[in-house]
This record gives sequence, C-alpha cells and structure tokens, in this order.
Amino acid sequence: MPLLERSDWYDIARDTNWTPDFVPREELFPSELSDPYDIPQAEWETFDEPYKVSYREYVKVQREKDSSAYSVKAALSRSKFHDGLDEGWASVLKLHYGAVALTEYQASQFQARMVRFGPSPSMRNMATYGMLDELRHAQLQLYFPHELLPRDRHYDWAHEAAHTNNWAILGGRHAMDDVMMCRDAITGAIMVSFAFETGLTNLQMVGLSTDATNMGDFTFANMITSIQSDEARHAQLGSPAIEIMIKNGRKAEAQQAVDVAFWRMWRLFAITVGIPMDYYIPLEQRHLSFKEFMHEWIIRQYDRQVRELGLETPWYWDLLKDDIENHHHCQQGGIWSWRPTVWWNPPGAVGPREREWLEEKYPGWNDSFGTYWDVITDNLLNDREEKTHPECIPIICNMCQIPISNRPGKLWKARVYQHEHEGRRYNFCTEPCRWIFTTDPERYKKHESIVDRMYSGEINPPTLDNVLTYMGIGVVSEGGHDGHDYRWIDGFRAQAAE
Amino acid sequence: MSTFPILSRFQYDCHVKVVEAEAAQTMDMLAEACAYHSIGLHVADQPGKILRVRPTTDADDAEPWPRDMTVAEAGIKYFDSIDIYFTDQSKA
Repeated sequence: MPLLERSDWYDIARDTNWTPDFVPREELFPSELSDPYDIPQAEWETFDEPYKVSYREYVKVQREKDSSAYSVKAALSRSKFHDGLDEGWASVLKLHYGAVALTEYQASQFQARMVRFGPSPSMRNMATYGMLDELRHAQLQLYFPHELLPRDRHYDWAHEAAHTNNWAILGGRHAMDDVMMCRDAITGAIMVSFAFETGLTNLQMVGLSTDATNMGDFTFANMITSIQSDEARHAQLGSPAIEIMIKNGRKAEAQQAVDVAFWRMWRLFAITVGIPMDYYIPLEQRHLSFKEFMHEWIIRQYDRQVRELGLETPWYWDLLKDDIENHHHCQQGGIWSWRPTVWWNPPGAVGPREREWLEEKYPGWNDSFGTYWDVITDNLLNDREEKTHPECIPIICNMCQIPISNRPGKLWKARVYQHEHEGRRYNFCTEPCRWIFTTDPERYKKHESIVDRMYSGEINPPTLDNVLTYMGIGVVSEGGHDGHDYRWIDGFRAQAAE
Repeated sequence: MSTFPILSRFQYDCHVKVVEAEAAQTMDMLAEACAYHSIGLHVADQPGKILRVRPTTDADDAEPWPRDMTVAEAGIKYFDSIDIYFTDQSKA
C-alpha cells in the first residue's frame, strides 16, 4: 500500500486541539501558566514548528541513538582510558556532570509545562518529544559518571550537586529556576528553547564533543553528540513563539525575555565551557579558544538569528564582547584560588607555554590576568603554598551568584554594581545583572546569596568548616585541589635554572 | 569590638572581597586589613607606596579619607564598597 506524503497527514495528526465543554478555556489554560500576553487562540493555531516528526519516527530514531551511546560506552568501559587520565579533562567531566545531569530533569519538567499549557497544539506536540529528550539526557548523564565513582568520589556530584547549597550550584539553580521552572509556557519557550538552547547549548555540545574526541574520550564525545541531536530539534520551539509574539504587538516582551535569559545563561556558560576550553584541556588538545567559538557561534550566528526573527541585538552586546575577553579568565583565577569549595580539581594550567597561548588568543592577557598568576607562581616557586589560599571570601553577585570580579593588573576593572530596593542593598557583577533585577524586583528580591547567608545567620557560625559543610564539601566528597599538583610551575623553574 | 563586612575593591585585584571592618579603625588600619587579603595573594606589593582609602565612585575620582580618620567618622557602613589604592609617599 502506498504511503501518504507527510504533508497529507501531519497537520491532522498533530492537531490535538478541542473545544472544552466542561470548563472554560481560561481555566484549562490559565494565563500565568500558558500565555500571559493575551494573544488570540487563532494566532497560536498558526504556530508551525520547523522540524516535523511523528511519534513513530521519534521512537525509532531515539532507540537507535540510545543503542549507539550505550554500546560505545559498554565497549569502551573495558578500555584503560580513565587510568592515568589527565586531571584537566577529568575536571571537565566532573564539572559537566555535576552542573548538567539533574538540570536535564528540570528541563524535562519545563518541557512538560509546554506539553500541558502550550496554547498551540503543535507546540504541545513538539514539546512532548522535548520532554522525553530531556529525560533521556538526564538518564545518560547520571548513568555514565556512575561507573567512575569507584575511581573518584567527585563523580558523585552528578547525582548530588543539585541537592546541595554549593555556591556554584546556587548560581545554576537561581538561573534555571528563573528561566525554566517559574515561567509560563510561552516565555519559557523563548527563554530556554531560543535564548539558551539555540544560542548557547549548541555551542557547548559541539565544542565539548570536538574536545572530547581530541582527548580520545569517545564515550563522552558520542554521548554529547547524541544529546545535541535532540537539542537541535527541540530548540526550534522558540522561534515560532517569537514570530507570533512580534506579529501580535509583543515584540518588547519577547525582546526582554531573550535579553534576560541569554545573559543569565551566558554568565554560567562561560564557566562550564569557557574555563575548560582555555584552561582545563591540555594545550596540545585545544583546537579553538573559547573566544573564537563565541565569536563564530554567538557574535555572528546567534545575533544574525535574533535579527532575522525581527528582534534587535541585545542592548548589552558590547558588554558581552568585553565579557568574552574577561569573565572566564577571572573565574578561572577565583575557582582555582578557592579550589577547596568545588567538586573538581581545577588545574592552574598557566605555565610558560600556556601563557604564551593565552596571550596569542587574548592579547593583553599577561598585563592583566598574568599579574594575578605572577603572584601565585612566585608563592609556589618559593614554597609559600599557604599564600595561595585566601582567608576571605569574594562578594557574590545577587543575580548570577558568581564572585564579583573583573580584569586585574594594569587594566584593572573590578567593580561592584550596587542597587537599593526596599531598604536592602544588592550587589551585582555587571550592568546586565543589575538590569535583570530591575526588570522584576518582586521575582528576585528575597533570594540570599551564599555571602548573604553567612551574615543572615543561616550559616552559623560562618566559620570556614561550617561554610564548606553547608556547601556539601566533606559531605558529598572532599573539595578540590590543584589538578596537576602544581606541576604547571615546572616550566618557570626550568626558565629560572637557565 | 564588633566587626561588620565591607567590600574591598583593592587596586589591581581581580575580585571584590569581603573584609571585616571595625568602627574604631583608622583608614590606615583598614587599608592594612584589606591589603592582608590582596597583597601577596593576588596583587604584587609595591614597596615604598602608601595605601589610601576612598569611597568607590563611577569615575574612580573620589578624594581619599584622611589617613587617621576612623571608619565611624568616615560613615562607612555595612557592605559599603571602598577603594584601596597605591599612592606615592609625596602624595600621601
């Protein structure tokens, strides 16, 4: 029997809309969970997802993807790859799994909100696949690190991180709760599917996959590629929502949703991807700098997508370009300096050759970030390891929850951006983080950063040991130490000997 | 003497740090307390230079507080951001 063309049946198959008899439509799709913008139902009926797939096709393809990912893992489990693995790459894995695994479950709940409350039947249809995608991603990224637990307790953070109050997790949770867990279906689609998944996830997955292949970690590369193929599909939920918003006079609201979400995700993304690319991956295996990735995928491609949809380049674009040269370098220094507070072993990785590479990729690095590492290097060369551990804490941004930092040295730009609201003073790292707060103070005003909690009495007394325990350090696993046991300074010793 | 947190924006440092201040501290004592957490950890020392303290402003152009003025007299409060910066002896 001849098969029908997809175009002959697809619209009927996906159209699960009906006219409710027992409750009014407003009760079935309350605006705060569905569409707070009062766009007519007939407009949502025009929602047309660019990527069309049937459930039967979806299951078939997903089964093949899972078979491939788990088969590669099973085959390579017998290899010796993790024996003597460079701790820089191990740090990439630990950071990734801890930050991402359970966030995928959150993403599944977010997709489920679109499945239930999306005002368009085709949106609900497509989000169903997205919901199943995210479940698969969570299961993969919980299962794969599990076998590494006997080697290193740090891998337990894949399961545990989201249940702790580690400062880095507070940052991830604050952002994800904001854009994924506490938004209506339409705003969430714009924030997550477009601003995050179209803008940044793509870059993360493609970049990490290439790096993993270069490292010879084919299990991770294959898993990431498998996940990315799903992301590329369900990320397309955002564009049609933006087009309908603009057509119905809601461009300003769509623009704000994109601008808020992109900046929030960027601040996290630079840590989870920028630091690995420019510091944790051994020099010989690096293929592009984080800056080169960002300029190609974000400054050029993502910005073009934003404008093609009818939106404007985000107002903070020049600040973003500056942050690309700055933010992850600051946080590499901060995370390394406060290394006992994290669940991986961050390598300093700024020996003479690495510094030469950083200067080439980021002209001016030596005059700025180099001065910070000069002091640390001098301490290590002169047996003052204790002077590499600060006895104070950095102030934390009340939006991104990341230490407030900026360029050190001659180009010094460190600064806190403060804001008063209802008698409370808030501290922010940048103008965009402060701006996000002012867009909706009611949403953000009650949250306390880890530093606020030290002074509000929640961590009492706020001794170093108590703070570390509060963050899950010494509970889930021990904290971090230099991933290469300071071997990166050997090059300076050799230079001095010459 | 009870202490309270201020934000130390120490010249050339990468991070803005939380440092404990006391109302009776002079500006020189406060600068020394902030220097303890920056110089020799993330900022190179500059022997012969004097550290001064001023309120943080957008243009980095505020006058420094007198070196013997106390924290209480300067009106520095909980989580205020202050600059600690190097000056030549002649300007101190």
